[in-house]
Amino acid sequence: MANSRKRYSELKGFLRTPTPTLIGIYILMIIIFTIADRNFLTIQNFKGIFNNFAVFGVMAAGVAIVMIAGGFDLSIGSVAGFVGMLSSVLMLENFAVPTPLVFIIAIAIGCIFGLINGLIITKIGINPIITTLGTLSIIRGACYFSDLSPRIYNVVIQDLGRKFLFNTIPYTTIYIVVFFVALSLILKFTRFGRDLYTIGGNETLARLAGIKVDRIKTITYVLSGFFSAIAGLILISQLGSGRPEYAVGAELEVLTIVVLGGVAVGGGKGDYFGIFIALVIIQTISNGMVMMDVPIFLRQVVKGALLVLVISIDALRSRQRLRLY
Amino acid sequence: MPEIKAPSVEQDKKIKLSNTVILFIILVVMFALFSYIGRPFFLSTLNLVPMLNNLSYIGIVAAVLTMVMVTGEIDFSIGGNIGLTAVLIAFLLGKGMPGWLVFVIALCVGALMGAFNGFIVTMVGVNSMIATIGTMFVWRGIGYTLSNGESMLAMDPFIDYIGRGFLFKVIPFPIVILIVVFVITYVIMDLSKWGRKIYAVGTNPMASYLSGINVKKIKFINFLICGITAALGGVMLTSLTAVGMPQHGQGLELVVISGIVLGGTALSGGKGEILGTLAGTLILGILYNFLTIMNVYYYYVQIVQGAILILVVSAYETRQSMAARRA
Repeated sequence: MANSRKRYSELKGFLRTPTPTLIGIYILMIIIFTIADRNFLTIQNFKGIFNNFAVFGVMAAGVAIVMIAGGFDLSIGSVAGFVGMLSSVLMLENFAVPTPLVFIIAIAIGCIFGLINGLIITKIGINPIITTLGTLSIIRGACYFSDLSPRIYNVVIQDLGRKFLFNTIPYTTIYIVVFFVALSLILKFTRFGRDLYTIGGNETLARLAGIKVDRIKTITYVLSGFFSAIAGLILISQLGSGRPEYAVGAELEVLTIVVLGGVAVGGGKGDYFGIFIALVIIQTISNGMVMMDVPIFLRQVVKGALLVLVISIDALRSRQRLRLY
Repeated sequence: MPEIKAPSVEQDKKIKLSNTVILFIILVVMFALFSYIGRPFFLSTLNLVPMLNNLSYIGIVAAVLTMVMVTGEIDFSIGGNIGLTAVLIAFLLGKGMPGWLVFVIALCVGALMGAFNGFIVTMVGVNSMIATIGTMFVWRGIGYTLSNGESMLAMDPFIDYIGRGFLFKVIPFPIVILIVVFVITYVIMDLSKWGRKIYAVGTNPMASYLSGINVKKIKFINFLICGITAALGGVMLTSLTAVGMPQHGQGLELVVISGIVLGGTALSGGKGEILGTLAGTLILGILYNFLTIMNVYYYYVQIVQGAILILVVSAYETRQSMAARRA
């Protein structure tokens, strides 16, 4: 009896999250796109959709942690671009760095960038948006250290983002599911995860409760850098080369995904199931726009407008009382 | 019983003044240094006039953004606004519209963009940092859509005069606009009742609301003016380059915000000086111009811009927390 009541209240809690609405929107979208183009609802197309969201999905995994703890990370696109560029240069014949070492360097670089972000934000106390806007510019400038755009011949890197399991499920989707499940478990069952929500909910209170706020926040930025580095590797794997301008503006897309997935902008709220649905929705919209021949520049407008819409809804939803000022 | 002394208005003004004076001294020293290192190019009219012209459109946006930032909000969409305005001007001129009408329409569209930002920040209640990052992409995307990603020629006697004309055949017109905008914003911020309200709102919105100030209205109007001024900046840039490009003003928010913060404006609101912004913007403008003269690769200038933003904000944060510890 008690068990069923608990299950009932869990169901009620789930219904109160934005996730059911998102699923409804998604079903509606599939119907509309299918009517617009009958090639939409094919396995071939969905293989593409699921493989294409890999980069943003991996980035969103990191950004979600940062945002749940009340932070912000705009530098993800630049980190991914830099890591991709550096790894592709390292794999050139005249350097010929062994593959495992490339992975280690790539991930280390991502973590170091994250650490720098985290230290500036927590130790000096600058607003995270301003800090990461600055590092976005710095790291993007650093991407231009080389004029080359090396092609990727390394088989391991090539397979990283391009292979399909049983010829249907992309490897990248498996990574994302693994990351998301692991992070969900961490968020739910570890002390670190619970602390993240506490910090995002009320930082002063968390500090008073004895949580090491600065350390945990720094870790979130390191994780964000870590996932951006992996996203950078997947990016060069899928595009087959490294170029300095890869992943420009990725922060817009990832931000939209994470907020649409139900992570509150001020922190303290959010789960990975919602983010996964949001990820599929955003990628399906991109795909649908391509199939309906929407001009490329108009797609940018739609994405920006979507972000504004999503954050407006978030603001209206989290508003408890009338805003007087 | 220890005597409690509140800092008087005069004292407060003195501190502010000394900050600005230090900035202007730095400016003069930098100018002298660069003139020496970068001789003979730096100090030639061929460099100085374009540099000041370039700085003027950045400066007017910085002046008005200071007003927005003193209320505790921020506007990242200025660069996108300039991009859209530039394309719009070229587009309308290409349709054969007269220059003055295009100018008026551009400012009106700028006002609309500012009003939209103001609306979602004050009425919907979105954090202005994130809201304007979104609108930044929207404005620029509309610019790209309208121009199909191409640069369009924008030539018209009226528009040309705004960015390349000379008043009395000596003073470049953009510099006149710069001075006028700075005088107006200075009068608003330091001498008018409206300015006192802006500072009050930034320092404590709750207290301002309780004492009868319409906080939303003040924030909204500041965003509106910011949109109009950014559009004016767009007109000036289009006129300077004679092209309407959707890429105009890309990354401008970085330069403008670092200049404003260097000038002593706090990101948290309530603190800021128009003259400080002028000094900060000029310092950064001269620095970037110098880097270009010294043949620094464009993408490395981007690194310097980001680094300066973080350095400047860190310096102010550290000073503030040190002052708080001392008190």
